[in-house]
Amino acid sequence: MATTASQYPLNGQRPNIPSAAVRLPAVADYEQVDREIIGTLRPTLGWFTLLGIAVLCLLIGITAWMYQIYSGLGVAGYHPPVMWGVYIITFVFWIGIGHAGTLISAILYLFRAGFRTSIYRCAEAMTVFAVMTAGLFPILHLGRPWKFFWLIPYPNWRLIWPQFKSPLVWDVFAILTYLTVSSTFLYIGLIPDIAVLRDRETNPVRKAIYATLSLGWRNSDREWRHFTRAYLFLAAFSTPLVLSVHSVVSFDFAMALVPGWHTTVFPPYFVAGAIFSGLGMVFTIIIPIRKFFRLQHYVTLNDLDAAAKMCLFTSMVVGLAYLTEFQVAWMSGNKFEQEYFWNRVFGQWAWAAWIMLLCNMVLPLSLFSQRLRRNPSWLFILSLFINLGMWFERFVIVVPSLSHEYEPWQWGSYAPTFVDYSILLGSFGWFFMWFLLFIKQLPVMAISELKEVVPPKRKHPHPDEFEHSRDEGIAHPFITGEHELPGGAH
Amino acid sequence: MSEPTKPAGVRRREFLKVLGAGTAAATAAACTYAGPEETGKLIPYLVSPDQTVPGVSTYYATLCRECSAGCGVIAETRDGRAIKLEGNPEHPLNRGALCARGQAGLQGLYNPDRFRTPMIKSGSAWRAATWDEAINLLAQNLGETRGRGVLGTGVFLNQHESGSFPAFLDSWLASYGMRPHLSVDFEADHGAIDAHRRAYGASWPRWNLADAKLVISFGADFLDGWGASVPHQLDFAEARAKIKDAPRFIYIGPRRSLTGLNADQWIASKPGGELAIANFLLGRGDANAASQASGVSPATLQRLAQEFASAKPALVLAGGGGDNGVELVSAAAALNAVKPAAGDAITSLDGIARTSDVIATVERMRTGQVAIAFVRGTNPAYALPKSARFADAFAKVPFKVSFSMFPDETTELCDLVLPDLHTLESWGDAESTRGTITLQQPAMDPVFTGTRSTADVLIAVAKKDSAVASRFADADYRAWLFKRLPGGGSAQTMTAALAKGILPGSSAARAAAPAAPAAITPAASTTGDFFLVTYLSPSLGDGRGANKPWLQELPDPVTKVLWSSWAEIHPETATRLGIERGDILEVKTSAGSIRVPALVYLGVRPDTIAVPLGQGHASPAQSTWFDGKDKAVQWGYGRYARAVGANALDLLPARSNAGGGVIGTTRCSISKTGEQTTVVSTEGSARQHGRGIAQAISVNEIDAHGEQVEHEVKPPGDAPHKFLPGLRSPVAADAQGELGSPTAADQGVLQGLYDPKNPAKMTKRRWAMTVDLARCTGCSACVTACYSENNIPTVGAPWQNGVVYATHSPGFNITRGREMNWLRLERYYEGAEDGRFTEDFEARFIPMLCQHCGNAPCEPVCPVYATYHAPDGLNVQVYNRCVGTRYCSNNCPYKVRYFNWFGYGEPDRVQYAFPDPLHWQLNPDVTVRTKGVMEKCSFCVQRIREAEHRAALEHREVEADEFTTACAAACPSRAITFGDAADANWSVTKLIEDERAYHVFEELNTYTAVVYLKKVNHPAGAVTAAEGATR
Amino acid sequence: MPGIIGAFVEIDSAVEAIEDLRRNRFNDLTVYTPTPRHEFEHALEPPPSRVRIFTLIGGLCGATFGYWIAIWTSRYWPLVVGNKPIASWVPYTIFGFEVMVLIGSLATVFALLALSRVPRLTMTVGYDPRFSGGHFGVWVATSPDRAKEAAELLRKHGAVEVRHEA
Repeated sequence: MATTASQYPLNGQRPNIPSAAVRLPAVADYEQVDREIIGTLRPTLGWFTLLGIAVLCLLIGITAWMYQIYSGLGVAGYHPPVMWGVYIITFVFWIGIGHAGTLISAILYLFRAGFRTSIYRCAEAMTVFAVMTAGLFPILHLGRPWKFFWLIPYPNWRLIWPQFKSPLVWDVFAILTYLTVSSTFLYIGLIPDIAVLRDRETNPVRKAIYATLSLGWRNSDREWRHFTRAYLFLAAFSTPLVLSVHSVVSFDFAMALVPGWHTTVFPPYFVAGAIFSGLGMVFTIIIPIRKFFRLQHYVTLNDLDAAAKMCLFTSMVVGLAYLTEFQVAWMSGNKFEQEYFWNRVFGQWAWAAWIMLLCNMVLPLSLFSQRLRRNPSWLFILSLFINLGMWFERFVIVVPSLSHEYEPWQWGSYAPTFVDYSILLGSFGWFFMWFLLFIKQLPVMAISELKEVVPPKRKHPHPDEFEHSRDEGIAHPFITGEHELPGGAH
Repeated sequence: MSEPTKPAGVRRREFLKVLGAGTAAATAAACTYAGPEETGKLIPYLVSPDQTVPGVSTYYATLCRECSAGCGVIAETRDGRAIKLEGNPEHPLNRGALCARGQAGLQGLYNPDRFRTPMIKSGSAWRAATWDEAINLLAQNLGETRGRGVLGTGVFLNQHESGSFPAFLDSWLASYGMRPHLSVDFEADHGAIDAHRRAYGASWPRWNLADAKLVISFGADFLDGWGASVPHQLDFAEARAKIKDAPRFIYIGPRRSLTGLNADQWIASKPGGELAIANFLLGRGDANAASQASGVSPATLQRLAQEFASAKPALVLAGGGGDNGVELVSAAAALNAVKPAAGDAITSLDGIARTSDVIATVERMRTGQVAIAFVRGTNPAYALPKSARFADAFAKVPFKVSFSMFPDETTELCDLVLPDLHTLESWGDAESTRGTITLQQPAMDPVFTGTRSTADVLIAVAKKDSAVASRFADADYRAWLFKRLPGGGSAQTMTAALAKGILPGSSAARAAAPAAPAAITPAASTTGDFFLVTYLSPSLGDGRGANKPWLQELPDPVTKVLWSSWAEIHPETATRLGIERGDILEVKTSAGSIRVPALVYLGVRPDTIAVPLGQGHASPAQSTWFDGKDKAVQWGYGRYARAVGANALDLLPARSNAGGGVIGTTRCSISKTGEQTTVVSTEGSARQHGRGIAQAISVNEIDAHGEQVEHEVKPPGDAPHKFLPGLRSPVAADAQGELGSPTAADQGVLQGLYDPKNPAKMTKRRWAMTVDLARCTGCSACVTACYSENNIPTVGAPWQNGVVYATHSPGFNITRGREMNWLRLERYYEGAEDGRFTEDFEARFIPMLCQHCGNAPCEPVCPVYATYHAPDGLNVQVYNRCVGTRYCSNNCPYKVRYFNWFGYGEPDRVQYAFPDPLHWQLNPDVTVRTKGVMEKCSFCVQRIREAEHRAALEHREVEADEFTTACAAACPSRAITFGDAADANWSVTKLIEDERAYHVFEELNTYTAVVYLKKVNHPAGAVTAAEGATR
Repeated sequence: MPGIIGAFVEIDSAVEAIEDLRRNRFNDLTVYTPTPRHEFEHALEPPPSRVRIFTLIGGLCGATFGYWIAIWTSRYWPLVVGNKPIASWVPYTIFGFEVMVLIGSLATVFALLALSRVPRLTMTVGYDPRFSGGHFGVWVATSPDRAKEAAELLRKHGAVEVRHEA
């Protein structure tokens, strides 16, 4: 805010960005937080348009699926031996997306990483919806989707149970657990904020709904005491859960003896990839939000910067995993493995492999430049490339391996049909439909947590806070990203 | 056509009348065609027919007429429906084996396009007629023609048959003053038959492969349809099975056919150049002259001559399809040192009318000299070269009658259709080998009550005519036939004979075939820079197989192409002309031109284009596409044949001695049309990439050391281990082995896992299979046997794709790798890696089916126990439990699991694979899989259980080699052996001990139950072990 | 029980008020704060939360059940797949872990709700929407006779508003 900015001039020297103690210099007090966050909930024409598009995509997907259920999986592009295709690829893709949320909200919470505060709500919501999307794919890739519940251990009179040694059953457990825990986590975090909405809401109907959802939360010290504790434990649980879920997903491949799948590097490789893709999607989502909701002074460039660093790190982990795979294939002396990897990069699937390498290994290296790390537009463009690249990573894992297995006589190819594409499109429609509904009904940022980092009013101003703000010159545009504040904001 | 009385076909209970017809009398009684029973639903027995137990098969020994050879078959019927054809073990010709075409006879019987009633052409339209109407029409026409005094010019073209019917037919014709019928077989090698008659005094001697040390074939494809292929294969495999003193086999010809691929050496001579080589071997002419004529290097010829001189005795065969066919076969006969056994010639090929006679007849038609024409079981309008212009000649005949079962090209030109019965529905006989009559008895009542046996129709017609009625006193053909059979058809002789299907003696002699008029030989096309080789498709023959989905879906043994035609061109030529696989070529001769996709093939001379016969059935009448629902008559040889591929006969000049497979000096030119298509093929990579799937060993190597050396290239660090056969091998160390034993080291709960009630008394079983690649010729009979036994749907028909983007291109699903062949025959090439021409490359055939691994990778990944390990070592697939994750298939290294992408088994879908009445062929012991489930080879578990139950009922153990799987039963080279590896009495246990035994992908520790015995190569002369041990 | 609610704008005055109230033996205090602040923790010195117990028990039950369901079902109907042991504990660890996390988290949430007495149907007396916004509230549950005294203390420390609630 102009006023606060002029208040603390920058004394010539470049501020120490990462350790700025006052995280939101441009936010004066609690009321401002309430005002600005709740302000974002007003539906706009643009929002309705986007929602309409999302729903349209979803309808296309649903139609395609109905057609596929009626006539059989043959309408999709399967080409034995490639028995898994777009659906499994997209499943892993969305599961990956669904990892950043819990990572940011849980792991970073444990590590007390400051930049989490402003973005974790979005990330968590993204997680829940991404997992909701991913969860559909194992079902719609089944030959007999109406029998999917046979994978769930429910008591039945025939006493037939699932085969617990199958990675697919591990998936069922991991994903359902993950969905439950992450949505619980989201909701618990939301309760105090819903209470805020309840108290600010004037429309009786909405007020009643918020009142119900807030479970009569009243911000008493007792509630807060248990809340903080419970939140800590949930975080403590979610952290290993995040790691386990994508490891389990990677087992779907690593447990098989397919060349290119059967490797121990997969669990860490998949987890890193998941976080990477998740951060990518976080950028894709948060950068427009902070722009159109005018929240640049909440999601500061510091936060983006920090997130970008994580993104760079995970990208390098993933890149290392790629190279490790090749090195292992080379050193194994296993001709099946070697021929497969040769075929992957120089053979019939080279184009996909190179898209993957370019988007996930090469482009993210740009984040070594601080200027680009702090350039929201570039981060947004890059994030789109990352999403593309990570989809193709899964493509490269699934399709080339299957098309080039042990039995040369059964080597094949693969080409998706319009059904695959429609359902892929539908999944995006489904995801964004939920997300758009979310951002206009519930606060996209954790009000109560933001308040934690906003200094409260005091009779005698707190010396430390004052000193910090003086020394760091935290109000400099370089930190607040104020220069990109649209004129006339606040 | 109008549907016969509702709903078409025979009701189950009507079949039951024939059941128990083990004795002739009972069958005879049943074979009076009662009208269809007017009931729509299945009713349980009130009074069960004699000798019938529902769900238990009755077996009838009868005859196969899919080709002229006349093998004996056993028809398995269940509740009155024939459900499986297998070879008759008693039969001297095929000795229990049966080729793919023979087995597909079932689909002729149940073909959905069969005529259901007589049809009469009024104007240009066809209408269904009653039999009285039809017979009266024929009788009346005969009367009128006789009235005009031209009845004598009548012509009867009958499919070639041995046995009594030809005689009966001639006597019928004679009684009307017509000349004897023409016994037509467009597949027969007329040149060879003529030459054989001269050289051996028999039209088709029984080759004595057993005594040969060297086999040389001049383009005689004795393994794929030349003469009688099943007995050839049996003898050949037996000879090759004598590993060390097995004959070496040299194939000489412009194209390497299936037979050629089974040869140890290929000498690629120019078409027509074979004669020069034969003469050179005979000492007439020198090597250079022969080399000139044949395009083979003198060195090669010299070596051939030396080998021929040294290796005694040598069996020399030759195909007579070429211009100089007769001379060539005669030369071969002169070279042949292994005289065929005089006694038992194959007599079923006697009396085939020469093509020259047929063409002469056609010319008579053209000049209007033929007043009435009959056609039965043969299709000259398709199978004669177009240049013979049969159609317009035939049109000149005032009245044309067809007895065809199917709407084919010739029938479409006729005026009256009197649909015949299928072999399996009617009486008859054949004399396949000298001195033995093969009996043909109905295995069931007619599928369509609107069809009748031609013989009976002829009798009925005769009875209408006072002039001839007296000469046909018999009630029906059966009565006529029985009178003339040895023993006069007395009840006891027939009872005994029909049980075996054969009867010693000789059929009623038929009048001698008319002498051949002078041969008409139009000038062969000499323009164009390529030789044209057209050959009989091993599965479709001269095209009569094209309406049977099993045969359409059966990949060509050599090219592995199906549901289409193709033109084979050598890689060298292809690169020179910039042609790639799938480019649509226009092949042109002076006689005509066709458009077919190019197929790059190593086994054809660079100056030769090879095109298979059998496809390209078309109909002028109907061009509208068949959508899987259309009920109209499917002209153009039915829904499965019409508009598939092109007919290579359009390229050929009408030739005097044109056998089906013409290897002539016809020349053709090719040009790219610029269009592209995907060649419909089941082939992925034709190379093994050193993965040791189909392994071979040189015979010298076996000589060298009794214990053969390991050739398997193992990943470094993988400890080499000795092959442990039988129970000692990991193959048997499966659930049944360890976990089944009461003394298992595993935790207590697992003791007697699979039989908790009596852990101690468990019989230890391990079903296993050996495939001897030294015997396997790649003929693919096992594949069709598997389709037939296990109700495998065919998926290649054009309307079987998705609904929205149905492309109407035949084999679309197969271009997507969705064929369902539980047992597939892989064909790998060795050598000739660079595209350049060489005669020196090898083909390895290997049947690949579910290996029933002891450590099955597919099992642990299934989330719902849809696949698990049975106590007897089977890898079981539970269709009803499968949810279709397809993970098992991903995890199967052998890729032998197949997925139901569409509802192939659901009648209300366009993808339905068994349109009425084709679904009657389904094996009641095997379920038809639904949409969205995985399926795979079950080791014919239904047969295993049947045997076990039978044994249990008879209070005994299952005896060794008591039963076998469908593929093993059919195999004409006896390469497949099935049995219990845990029991030393089974022959499979002994075979597993063979030094050639190996597992595919042994390094994966899957512990397969299928053990392959390495192919044995017979390299020329003394070859070092290293050379021989190609892998 | 009736009481008095005081609303504060500054956090430190609220804290001082609390300390003063406790010094004057007003021990039944409830503080309403828009966001958890350590200042209040120090001032109120509450007992540690008992959520952890529930979490622990839930986690243990979950792990046990996870292993049990897998092992029991495998042995109930033993079928051999891929020649692997009927009950193979290694892969079943996944179920132990996942179900532990599942039940553990749910138990934690249950504890949170149970211990902090939510959901509640009615707003308690003394709550004011401002407390979810910028204000801090201090609720003193006291008998009418000492109500005056408490109100005094609250005002003394600069409560912007003091209300008697019954």
